Amino acid sequence: MPMASVAERRRMARLVHRFGFGPRPGEFESLLSKGFEQAAEQYLIAPASDAFADNQGSPVVSDQGRRPAPNSPDVVAYATQKRAQLSSLTFWWLDRMVLSEHSLRERMTWFWHGHWATSYQKVDDALPMYLQNERLRDHALGNFTAMSSQMVIDGALIFWLDGQTNTVKAPNENLSRELMELFTLGVNRYSEEDVKETAKALTGYRVNKTSGAVTYNPRQHFSAAIKVLGTQRSFDANSLSDFLVARDDCALFITERIWYRFVSSMNPLTDTTLISSFASRDIGALVKAIGKHASLDDPNNSMVKSPIDWFVSAARALSITPSKFSNPNSITNYLDQLGQRPFFPPNVGGWPADQAWLSTSSAQYRIQFAERLVREADLSPISTLAANSRLDALANWLAVPEWSNRTKMALNGAINDPARLTILALCSPEYVVSA
Amino acid sequence: MDTITRRQFLKATGAGALGAAAMSLSIEEIANAAISRPLPPGTPILVVVTLYGGNDGLNTVVPASDPLYQSLRPGIAYKPEDVLPLGENLSLNGSMTGMHSLWNRNQVAIVRGVGYPNPDRSHFSSMAIWQSAIMGAAKTGWLGRWVESQPEDPMLAISLGSVLPPLLAGNRRSGSVLPLGGLKVPRGSLASDCIKLAIESQGDNLLQSMAARTMRNLFTVSSDITPILQSPAPAAPDLPTALGGNAGGETNLSQQLDIVAKLVAAGAPTRIWSVSLGGFDTHANERGAQAILLGVVSQGISKFMSQMRASNRSKDVVVLVYSEFGRRVRANASDGTDHGTSGPVFLLGERVKGGFYGEQPSLSNLKSDDLAVTTDFRDIYASVLEKILSTPAEKILGNWKGRTPLFI
Repeated sequence: MPMASVAERRRMARLVHRFGFGPRPGEFESLLSKGFEQAAEQYLIAPASDAFADNQGSPVVSDQGRRPAPNSPDVVAYATQKRAQLSSLTFWWLDRMVLSEHSLRERMTWFWHGHWATSYQKVDDALPMYLQNERLRDHALGNFTAMSSQMVIDGALIFWLDGQTNTVKAPNENLSRELMELFTLGVNRYSEEDVKETAKALTGYRVNKTSGAVTYNPRQHFSAAIKVLGTQRSFDANSLSDFLVARDDCALFITERIWYRFVSSMNPLTDTTLISSFASRDIGALVKAIGKHASLDDPNNSMVKSPIDWFVSAARALSITPSKFSNPNSITNYLDQLGQRPFFPPNVGGWPADQAWLSTSSAQYRIQFAERLVREADLSPISTLAANSRLDALANWLAVPEWSNRTKMALNGAINDPARLTILALCSPEYVVSA
Repeated sequence: MDTITRRQFLKATGAGALGAAAMSLSIEEIANAAISRPLPPGTPILVVVTLYGGNDGLNTVVPASDPLYQSLRPGIAYKPEDVLPLGENLSLNGSMTGMHSLWNRNQVAIVRGVGYPNPDRSHFSSMAIWQSAIMGAAKTGWLGRWVESQPEDPMLAISLGSVLPPLLAGNRRSGSVLPLGGLKVPRGSLASDCIKLAIESQGDNLLQSMAARTMRNLFTVSSDITPILQSPAPAAPDLPTALGGNAGGETNLSQQLDIVAKLVAAGAPTRIWSVSLGGFDTHANERGAQAILLGVVSQGISKFMSQMRASNRSKDVVVLVYSEFGRRVRANASDGTDHGTSGPVFLLGERVKGGFYGEQPSLSNLKSDDLAVTTDFRDIYASVLEKILSTPAEKILGNWKGRTPLFI
């Protein structure tokens, strides 16, 4: 097989790091030998079944009911169980990200979690967060009309955005604004009058906070016609969602959002023909079109790995199972320090991108986290090799297109120490940034 | 305090990352900065406090005696006897006793009705406008551009917390970030290898060279700052131990301000500090939640000012407090308020000419149910740039004419 060029390696590295969570040992070489076209066909379509995910089972989460009174005998058991549920849910998902045979579905579920960003911070119950997570997964590569229609009646989302206090008498605009601004249309593609009006369409939905169940009470729903984006008619949450998703602005917006997370947060969407691949609101078709798009050949479209990207891809390479880690809490602690923990987006806009992840502080925690991970890692992909072939093997193991002279110098200093070598590689600018 | 700290700077420099002296940014430069210009007393320091979520201005600077205020938001309005009088028929939220006593000392400027034309009610767009001082898509923060206008020095502008706020983002250089737990720098051979990773390499793209730079800053900033972080916070001798109603409970903001107080007192050559508090998006059950948050802000800032008085820096420090927008005048049915327009901005410190600035937006003349904008926030920024950061406003804000004469 001819050696892949740096450009070919970069293209393949972008495929595996952005549309998946990085390669497992041996995977990058095998994809390179297939060539990009074939690798992309395989990578950008999620198969119906998955050897790991299908057999993983569910996290241990259940409706805990209301919190017992303070100082009552039951409150300690309740709080302990609450912590255990959140932990079970978190590691269930981290395991799924790391161990799924095919990464695209989890990658897209992660993307949608940042899109319909809902935080446990306020929801405060694991079950509604889990139900939302499964909903996002079910539709992750499906039809956006169906996804949005399910999400506007998602218990965790409604509770997070105060939808349960939205009444006919005085509508609460939190959910209606974010539905248009952040979930379906994009900012300023509606008027302030539209925000006020759509809030009325979202009245009448009540959430059972601990179970996440949503009930619709037609008597509390504003059923008269309202005027939204120039159309006068009556709406409920589902028909409003369908109406918004059908608009051209929705196709533009979702294309922009996927572009922002998968191609570049710094260079705006340039090729508007991509939007047409979302004409039928088929998410999978849009992702496939973007994944194969020529913009991903452009060296300017580099991206910083977010803490989850970085951790999950490291865990995949290092053969680490998050839930089996000797102290799983240390994983969530480091993710917290780095500013990105699943189920805790900082706000409804989701996590930041690129530059925000490059700080003195994150440099520090990345080094500590890498040190911690390497202690439980399988380093055989490089430790079994002779020192003089380790640098190339390291680049393939971690799907790095090429090492700079700077990094080669640093790595060569540790070439006889596989653990230190791995820590340095994981903290190098070439790994931290998806070039 | 000052002298001990300078010695600590020296010691830390000697013991720490001398290997980095070979890099393009020399550790001596920063050590020298700490020694030869440990921010000479008299150099103004800006502390920016960002309140995320959109603070309800009308329940912060409260027109409690205005019957319209009472009738427009009956569920959440404060009675005149529950708030702290400021004059001009306005009062401060009852939880803000610390800031009220600073107001009485003439050290608080309240700019009323601050915003910008065509207010954007999106948290994200509006915060981007406030932090960039640019309408429309911006990649840099106003203080990030200031950092880039200065000679490179990673100590120049520091944000507390682990994620860089857009406020301090520049095109190629940005402010630094200091996590609350302080920095734990690798030691031994791992450290010398990491320092090698911190050199910018020719083939680096923009983000990779930034990644290298942050690694470099980790070694330079942390070796200077870590010893100071381990020292106790300056005392606040003239402050009663319990402030009205908000006893106990270390909050994140006060923790951030405590660290800033230590570092400022130590003479860190830092001109800008950024701290923040979230939770102001009070769509439901606003009154209690907002009062707690405002109490945290007020108590944290007044304690900080008191610590500054004990450290000889009180004449230098100016605190700027802002949020991305105010809230709707009318309450919603959940006893909260939805996103609105203008709100008050606070400036505090001995350099500040205390009192009101800008016109209080009228409740009888609302713009489609919202408060009017009577002062553009860039007027404030321009004055801060000129008077506190000694930089022509044009360099950072372009051709912006307005000023607010806030400073002595």
